[in-house]
Amino acid sequence: MDKRIWAIGGGKGGTGKSFLAASLGLHLASLDREVVLVDADLGAPNLHTLLGIKASHPDLGDFLTNAVPSLAEAAVETPYRNLRIVKGSENILFIANLNHYRKLRLLRQLRQMEAPNIILDLGTGSSFNTLDFFLSANPGVVVSTPEPTSIENTYLFLKSCIMRVLKLYMDHYKIRDLHQRMLEQIEKNSQSLYGFFKSLMESDRAYGTILYRALRGFRPCLVMNKTRDDRDVLLGRSIADVARKYLLIDMQYLGAVPYDEDVLSSLRELRPFYLEHGDSAAARAVRRMSEELAYSIEFTLRTPPEIRLPDA
Amino acid sequence: MLKRIEDWNYYELLLVERTASPDEIWAAYQAALTTYQTGSPALYGLVTEAERGLVLERVQEAFQTLRDPATRKEYDLALLRRAPYFPPKAPFRKSVGKLEIEEALPKKGLWARIKAIVFRRHDA
Repeated sequence: MDKRIWAIGGGKGGTGKSFLAASLGLHLASLDREVVLVDADLGAPNLHTLLGIKASHPDLGDFLTNAVPSLAEAAVETPYRNLRIVKGSENILFIANLNHYRKLRLLRQLRQMEAPNIILDLGTGSSFNTLDFFLSANPGVVVSTPEPTSIENTYLFLKSCIMRVLKLYMDHYKIRDLHQRMLEQIEKNSQSLYGFFKSLMESDRAYGTILYRALRGFRPCLVMNKTRDDRDVLLGRSIADVARKYLLIDMQYLGAVPYDEDVLSSLRELRPFYLEHGDSAAARAVRRMSEELAYSIEFTLRTPPEIRLPDA
Repeated sequence: MLKRIEDWNYYELLLVERTASPDEIWAAYQAALTTYQTGSPALYGLVTEAERGLVLERVQEAFQTLRDPATRKEYDLALLRRAPYFPPKAPFRKSVGKLEIEEALPKKGLWARIKAIVFRRHDA
């Protein structure tokens, strides 16, 4: 079975991660593809509200506390055909501070779950939990808006992902002393990542090559949400270009979702925007992106590097 | 390949193929100008003003060279002398399901380590 785990993440709140996750899920489900949406926003879950569903049990918290034995049993039916959802937990204090063992269990169950499309709606920020869920997925989609604050946080999120990937590989090869060197060097300036690799290649080419290849394997996608004009649309292309040059990652710009007042009105009426306004420019943009991701040969052939988390 | 921005060739800098048409080069140049213009939001929080100026200078230099067929030909020949160019290949299936990490150097196994200890003792 061609299984795919999608992750929708980003550095800043309010960029439209949950909106995009819900819309992608509804679109894929409408194409007769079985979809499971997982509200992995551990601190502020609300994906169910975007689908017009009330919070109820079982949810992610029930799986994590062993109230239900598997993640598949926490996935409940929605009013929409082919679409199931694992709702976020109301027990936020417990879930937001997920421990290492529970995180591994959740990651394992996500890989084992029998569903061709699993879409993770991730929370804001760069906690290890969020980063690990993002890095386990393919495709990983970063959502940004055209505001400078959002762009700044997008770069921070990408930098955190990069450092997490490198750290996991360093831990695997037991070269932990490099980690401190990386932290010191990467904070210096924008070209510091290049500087770090350059000096590493000179001192230890084998490890430098391994880490550089690991970094090149991290290939997120970017979506610009709430764009209002052509400049905002082009901004996404610019961000992907800058990330390629300064963060050494191959980021694919998927496109822009135009700002739409009706998103808010749909939310107030507790009805999914994607179904209510299927002909809007925003819905059309989501359709185009999801088809690009679902049928892209690159994503079909490429499997993400498996993240091996340390045991402790 | 790991390269500093100063070492990127003009095509890499403008994000175009070496076979790009003049129209594609023009479009890429316009996009690069937008990215590296003063106060560009795309650089916010990552690139300093000095670095922005340097890249913009190189972008302009790249466009000036590639817009004119004669200078472009000369530049292409110089690039070819440095490294031959092979057009990009179609994606191919490469060890799907395996970890990239597996392409790394093999770790020293238990037997190899025991042998090393035994032979060292024997020699001594």
